[in-house]
Parts: sequence; structure tokens; C-alpha cells
Amino acid sequence: MKESLMDVICCPLDKATLELDVDDADDEEVLAGTLTCTECGETYPIEDGIPNLLPPDMREEAAA
Amino acid sequence: MTDDASEGDLAARRGLDDAVVYQPAEDSGLLAEAAVAEARGRVLEVGTGSGWVAARVASERDLDVVGSDLNPHAARQARDRGVGAVVADLLSPFRADAFDTVCFNPPYLPTDPENEWSDWMEHALSGGESGRELIEPFLADVGRVLAPGGVVLLLVSSLTGYEEVLALIEDAGFDHEVVVEESFPFETLTVLALRRA
Repeated sequence: MKESLMDVICCPLDKATLELDVDDADDEEVLAGTLTCTECGETYPIEDGIPNLLPPDMREEAAA
Repeated sequence: MTDDASEGDLAARRGLDDAVVYQPAEDSGLLAEAAVAEARGRVLEVGTGSGWVAARVASERDLDVVGSDLNPHAARQARDRGVGAVVADLLSPFRADAFDTVCFNPPYLPTDPENEWSDWMEHALSGGESGRELIEPFLADVGRVLAPGGVVLLLVSSLTGYEEVLALIEDAGFDHEVVVEESFPFETLTVLALRRA
């Protein structure tokens, strides 16, 4: 994901701002990392350049 | 891992993704035509599937396009097409007033609950018993993420109940106009542009 995506995404649970922690990035994009809600503390993974912003209960269902 | 092995993995992964991701069809073509004509500013495609529509808007209009999908395989295909991909449930992780254009080709086929397939392709096609199970929550929330003066491009099939969808659009506080319409043997597909009434 491009860092500019931060301007349009929020926590799906409470719509609060997310904080970005970058584990891996190239010149253009964040490839791996974590998005953390500044309000409820829920975390959302970024893997292979794609943030998974499903609420936690749906995330587990979708992985099955 | 050698380069050969990683290429093999990639090919296998793409094969798997194709099997569980809705691929472009007549409805996609119609939505792309409307979106290329009407899109402006920052664009979101909900339920982007393979990312084909989002990629066309990005390349033909040189706009910044985000594609979201519930299906992680779809998000990967969209990303492979160069679309900024997000795994999401409809509009839930997007900020208020974030987008000037929101496109949606919803899963719209009315489905007998006893015949639902419970897999990714069903998610891509089935609109529940009414055919409107995803259209209703989408319309109820899309006004939140739409910037002032923004436009929603919604594909509607006659199979979903055109009049019923128009009533939902009105309830959500939008005016509508037809952008493109095409008839097929079993359904008529219409792309509506919705603007705040």
C-alpha cells in the first residue's frame, strides 16, 4: 500500500485514526507492517502490500 | 528459494486466485464504461474482484483508485493489476468524505438460502434471498465516505428488482440518473449515477 492510503482509511470498528508501523517497504509502497487503532488498540496486518482491514471476527472467518 | 521456485509458486497462486475470484464479464464492462466517463478525484471501487474495472479507470483517466474486496484472493489479483488493494467489508474501514467517486458492482443474484455455496464465488455472486443483501448496507453507509459533490456509480440488474433498488436509493438521500443501460437475454443491466439530493 502507498502511504497516501492512510488519508482514506480508518479503524472499521470505531472509525478512529490508524497508526502505521512499517516492517518492510520499497521506494513506492509499504509491503509489510501493522496498522493500530489509536482509539481501541485493535491491530490490522499489512501483508504483501495489502492491508487487511476486516474486523477481527470477520478476518478469522475469511481465513477459513 | 531459487528464482524458478518463486516463479512456480506465483503461477500456482495465480491459478488458485483465478478459481475463486469473479472475472470480468458483461456487468464489469458496463461499469467500466460508466466509471471511465464519470469518475473524478479520488476513486474507490467496492467489491473490486479481479481489479479490472479499477485498473481501467486508473489507466484511462489517470486517477488515484483504491480497490477493496472481502476476498483476499481478489485483493491480490487487483494489486497485481496495479490497483491499490485493501481487504475490507464494504465501506467499514474508509473515512468520512474520503472519496469523490465510489463504484460498486454488487453481488446481486437472488439466492435460495438452501442452495448457497458458501465459498468465495458465492460471495461474489449472491445477493441473498432478495438479491439486495449487500446493496442495502452499501447504500446506508456510502453517503458517509462520499466527499461533498461526490458521485456513486452503482450497477443494478433487473434480476435484483430495479424499482426496489430505486426506493433504497431515495431512502438513502440520493437522486439518480442512468449512465448506461444494456439488455441481455435474461436481465437488463443499468449503471446509475447517484448524487446527494
